[in-house]
Formats: sequence, structure tokens, C-alpha cells
Amino acid sequence: MYDQFMGLMYDLLLQTGLTQLWWGNIVMIIVGGILLYLGIYKKYEPFLLVGIGMACIVANVPGSDLVKPGGLFYYAYAGVQSLIVPPLIFLGVGAMTDFGPMIANPSLVILGAAAHLGIFVALIGAKVLGFTLAESGAIGIIGGADGPMAIYMAMKLAPDLLPQISVAAYSYMALMPLIQPPVMRLLTTKEERGIIMEQPRYVSRLEKIVFPIVIAIIVNLFLPPVAPLITMLMLGNLLRECLVVDRLADTAGGALLNIITLVLTVAIGSTMGAENFLNMKTLLIIALGLVAFLVGTGSGVLCARVMNKISGGKINPLIGSAGIASVPIAARVSHVVGLEENRNNFLIMHAMGPNLAGVFGTAISGGIMLALLGV
Amino acid sequence: MKLPDTMEGAFVLSVIDFFLCFVFIGAIGGVLALFPWLNRLGEIKEEKY
Repeated sequence: MYDQFMGLMYDLLLQTGLTQLWWGNIVMIIVGGILLYLGIYKKYEPFLLVGIGMACIVANVPGSDLVKPGGLFYYAYAGVQSLIVPPLIFLGVGAMTDFGPMIANPSLVILGAAAHLGIFVALIGAKVLGFTLAESGAIGIIGGADGPMAIYMAMKLAPDLLPQISVAAYSYMALMPLIQPPVMRLLTTKEERGIIMEQPRYVSRLEKIVFPIVIAIIVNLFLPPVAPLITMLMLGNLLRECLVVDRLADTAGGALLNIITLVLTVAIGSTMGAENFLNMKTLLIIALGLVAFLVGTGSGVLCARVMNKISGGKINPLIGSAGIASVPIAARVSHVVGLEENRNNFLIMHAMGPNLAGVFGTAISGGIMLALLGV
Repeated sequence: MKLPDTMEGAFVLSVIDFFLCFVFIGAIGGVLALFPWLNRLGEIKEEKY
């Protein structure tokens, strides 16, 4: 009787995850805890980090059925793998975005290209470190600071690196208020940071309606590899701007975006298992991602300084760093750093122009990369 | 023509991609510069239906 009882208790113990726990799981549970701390306590991008952090913890508790085939997180990841989730994210983003600042000042869109030098520095750095060209391209796109685009490119070019690339991209996006300001202050003078820019012109409803249609046609014609993402972005924007389908715009930018964000974050977190994540490649990708962000911030600011000189002092170089695509975080960072110099300087609407252009910059960089790599 | 998986391929990819990025973004900027002319075609009221 005693032996039978002990046998049953032993079988029960074997079914728990305790016997499979190893130090790697403990490390990754701590990493998940750090992400939760950053999201909940420090309030850095909580909509992203809370889901990623919690799913990371669950994925590293052995025996969790959520991440196994048939589990909910497993199917969430299937949605990411099949490239359904990123375009739906862009649909929601488009429905929430006002492209007026970008339309109002077309000359500033060039900053959306200049700030992407970081992508290519990281690409070359990754190749030096031994990654394949396709993997290097996927790693480089982290520098575009566009989460759905990073996932899209990773699935196309280097699906095995999706966990590291997506975590690096979203984590650095959340940490942008810490990463960018030192570079911005280093590369600008006090006088330049204090420049107050002219009010942008009024953009009419007709312009805002025509914009998504024209851009969708251009991208589908010239950059078919990234057409799914940009077309959905433009569809969402058209729903918002046409003013006749409020319910659809509200759903796309509200409930649908929230659901897809939840699915995306748990999918990303569920891939952060210790056996996949704790290796040298992860450390290298995280380091390269940081390099990409720093170089991109610097190149955007320097391009804006050149534009400031050419325009006779009308452009505040701080908006150059907003050419990195993370909308509206990068624009907000430009605004906050500008306020430090001059409490009356409201740069946010000016910075939104290059920030929105950065979305297209990342998509264009990615699309050309996919075309040149034959994917 | 496929790019070789070498450092040379990485440089070529980076240079071409960065240059074309400017070209495409510049073209989008050029198209946007024509947008004020759209307002001559007419006006759409701002209120929602």
C-alpha cells in the first residue's frame, strides 16, 4: 500500500514541470520579470511589454500547455508565422494615424530615409559577425524601429531568428526615450535645439483621402514584396479619413488592434524559451540592434542639421531622429528634448512628419532588400 | 542576378538599398508636393456622415 502510494506520488511529480526546470528557464523567467517591470512600473510601452513579459515567463515554466502544439500561444505564433498578424497591425495603425504632418511638409520626408542608415550599418556588422546575408538583412531591419516590419522581414529572411529580432525591435522601441536623447544632444548645439519651426500648412480632407490611395498604388507598383503591409496601412488610413465608415475605423483602430496586439505580444513572448534564446546569436543580435538605433538616430539628426543649414535655420535638427519609424515614440522624444531647451517649443507635430515618413522608409528598405535577395 | 552571400554582397546590398530608399522617399515627397493642387478640384466637408 505504502509502495503503491509512493509510486503514484512519484508519477505525479514526473508529470509536473519541476523535473524539467533548468538554470536557463530561471534566467529567462527573470528576463520576463524585467520586461514586466519596465512595462508596469516604468510604463515603457506597457501594451507591448506586459504581454511579451508574461508570455516569456510562461514559456519558460516547463510543462506549460499554452506553448505546446495545440495551446493558445502556439496558435498565436502560427498567426505570426503565416504573416497574417503584421498586416492587421498596420490596418489598425493606419486607422489611428493622421498623416497630415507628413503631407504638410514634404521636404521633411527625406529624414525618413536618412535615419535608416542604421539598418545598413547593422546589416554589414551582422555579416562581419558571421550571419548569412539573409539573416543580416533581417537583423538590420531592427534599426527601422518598426515592429510589424521587423517580424515580416524576419519571417521572410530568417524565421529561426524571429524571437530575437522581434524582442530586440520591440524592446528598443520601448527604450527609445533612454537611447536617443544622448545622441541627439551630442550631435546638436544648444542654439539648434532651441529653433522654433513655422506652423505647418493646413491639409484638407481631400488631400488626406487621396493620400492613402496614391501611396497604395505607388507601393504596389514599385515594391510588391512589402505591398501587403503598406496597403493595409493605407486602407486603415482611408477608413479613418473618409469619415463615412466610422464604425469600421473605430473597430480597426480599437478592438481589432487591441486583439491583434494581444495575439502578437503573447506570440513573441512564447518564442522566448531558454533553449532557443540563451545563445551567443541572441547577444549579438541585441548588440547589433542597439548599434542600428544609435547610428540611425545620429544619421537622422545630421541630415536634419544639413537641411537646417540649407533652409537658413528653419529646421530644428532634433526632428531628424524622429525619422526612425517608431510612431509616435520617436516624435515624442524629439518634442521632449526640444522642451528641455525651450519650454515654448512644441516640436511634436513637426517631428511627426519625418516619423511617419520613417514608416515608409523602413518598408522601402525592406522591400528593396527582399527584391534584391530574391525572396 | 543573385547577390553573393559575402561581405561584398552585403556592401552592394546596403549601398543600393540606401540609395534607392532616398530615391523612393524623394519621389513620394515629390508627389506630396503636388497635393496642394488637389484643393483646386474641390472641397470635401469636414463633418461626419
